[in-house]
Amino acid sequence: MTISRLTFAPSRRTVLAGAAALIASPAILRAQSDGITFGTLTPLTGVGGTYGPSMRDAAASVFTAVSQAGGLLGQQIDLVSEDTQTNPEAAVRAVRKLIDVDGVSVVIGTWASSITTAVAPLCWENGVMLFTVSGADSITRLPHMGYIARTQPNSILQIQVAGEFMLRQGATGMAWIGPQTPFAQSSIDILAEQAGAAGIEMESLIYEADKSTYRSEIDTIMRSNPDFIMLGGYAADSTVVLRDIWQAGYEGRIIGPAYAVNPTVLEALPNDVTEGVYTWEGAPDVTGGAYANVRAALGVDVVDPYSAQTYDHANLAVLAAAAAGDAGGPAIRDSLRSISQGDGTQVSDALAGLEVLANGGSVNYTGASGPCDFDGIGDITGTQFLFNQISGGSPSEFERV
Amino acid sequence: MLDLLPQFLANGIITGALLALPAIGFTAIFAVLRFPNFAVASHATVGAFAGLVVNVTWGLPAVPSLMSAFLVAGLVGVISDEVALKPLRKYGALTTAIASIALTIVIENIIRFFFGNDLRGYDLPLVRDIRFGEIRVNPQQLENLALAVVIMIVVFAALKFTRMGKAMRAVADNPDLADLKGIDAVLVGRIVAFAGMGLVGVGGMLFGLGTSIDPLTGFRFILPIFAAAVVGGLGSVPGAVVGAMIVGIGEEMSALVLEPAYKSAVGFLAIVLVLTFRPRGLLGERAY
Repeated sequence: MTISRLTFAPSRRTVLAGAAALIASPAILRAQSDGITFGTLTPLTGVGGTYGPSMRDAAASVFTAVSQAGGLLGQQIDLVSEDTQTNPEAAVRAVRKLIDVDGVSVVIGTWASSITTAVAPLCWENGVMLFTVSGADSITRLPHMGYIARTQPNSILQIQVAGEFMLRQGATGMAWIGPQTPFAQSSIDILAEQAGAAGIEMESLIYEADKSTYRSEIDTIMRSNPDFIMLGGYAADSTVVLRDIWQAGYEGRIIGPAYAVNPTVLEALPNDVTEGVYTWEGAPDVTGGAYANVRAALGVDVVDPYSAQTYDHANLAVLAAAAAGDAGGPAIRDSLRSISQGDGTQVSDALAGLEVLANGGSVNYTGASGPCDFDGIGDITGTQFLFNQISGGSPSEFERV
Repeated sequence: MLDLLPQFLANGIITGALLALPAIGFTAIFAVLRFPNFAVASHATVGAFAGLVVNVTWGLPAVPSLMSAFLVAGLVGVISDEVALKPLRKYGALTTAIASIALTIVIENIIRFFFGNDLRGYDLPLVRDIRFGEIRVNPQQLENLALAVVIMIVVFAALKFTRMGKAMRAVADNPDLADLKGIDAVLVGRIVAFAGMGLVGVGGMLFGLGTSIDPLTGFRFILPIFAAAVVGGLGSVPGAVVGAMIVGIGEEMSALVLEPAYKSAVGFLAIVLVLTFRPRGLLGERAY
């Protein structure tokens, strides 16, 4: 049998149709997916690698429990986990894969603000709900159409609370030193305003991340003789800064975010260097049922704030989808606040909430990280802060506000 | 701000001396094997972690730890070169250079697999800075500087006076002529890969002594190392030292005129300026 060439000569229309099919193939694949697919996008490697694996596991524990109990809207939940590498370029590649190939309707757990800023437009343009633990205030000011919800107090609130703490402790000269991040300048502006109102000096310096030494930067900041320094970086650079400050003979006080002066930093540095350093963080609700759940799920005594938050993200996504009767991104966005706040029955896990919803009730999810109530732009309202002080290489509670 | 000039200069000299060791390794490998081996990034990390195991796990002091950094990074350098890069050299320097970037990612992830992502510090006593007038210097930095200088002197002496050093220079200058004289270029290549990556490993650990290390430690230094080698003249060992000093001092002194957030721009700027006005680098490309 011979086939004439003409038979296989593709017409312009065929080529165009083929191209259209190729372009549309992710959507076709999505339509072919049997279950509901959610994604986590946490920093499994890079400077956030300390937190990413347990953040992923905390979210996965919720989806596993729901799937084992019969699923969501009668379907199993498939979880696809990707690694941001704590690197915006890698995170964008990963979220493209989650959206285009896996067809997720929810992305959970972006950690560094630079990463959330990079992946957020891809999420809202594709109608994917993004739950994040990033703090930069600029994130929820993006034109995200409701597709961003964050459980981390924003950087303005964090810096205000820490600045007030520094003044309460009697600071007479403040300084901020940190790398270039989406919240660096706003942090400096807030502290400068607080220092100005209190009539004291305030010095600031933005350095380049990933350097092996910051001696010259420390020399520069020391010229104003500050007696209370705030660190604005992440763990890797804060280790170097703390060491360099100590070696320079600084005798004043230091405060840093708990994610920067974290257990690995305390392990890596001699106790002399970290003695007396204050840390602060949005405090998980350690007394609540959700916190106990995530502790049991992870098999740990103390849950870090970010794993507590991704546990909440997963519960919120499941309950919002169940309340809407639809696990798509737009439906979850629209029904999120109907299950996170209000007069409904208080629940601390998705299974209990699903039962209430199945019986025609309404729920108010109260999470491991706090009440999980969101304002109009996706920021949480109502959160506690925990201040610790390092002594003998380990943190102990100083005060809660 | 000018009152800080002497301090910045001191900081720059110390940074430059530390940068010189991996830059020498990088440029020596380029001189003999004729490709830029960007796997120096992961080999610096290998050296830093090898030193960490000897120092923290086995409890030995800095010098034996540095020796282990040299040996392990050197061995990994030879093996990875034989397995991953040597088979590609016949396809050209660009292909091999790209493969070396892939290699560095592979090695970095192997380290991550065994050691995890956490920051780790060496078990060395930390001491406060000492002051010489207006300049403060840390004793550990002085020790690192002395070690770097001693190692550089040993490298120069080996290149100048030993038979193998002369063979290396011969292969670097003219591989065909060296072959005619009966010099085994393959053996010389292996020794250069060993010694070059060994120096990179020592540099990685010396950097780590002043800070903490993680699997990305070496990757952070790839730009200044490359800039130092290019500025001095790719393939020139003394050039690498000069280039390292220029980049190290330049980065620290840049704080006088630039926001510290743009420190790395100094490395890029140095590369651009040298490639524009003196493409073969300040000292040309002769190995010695």
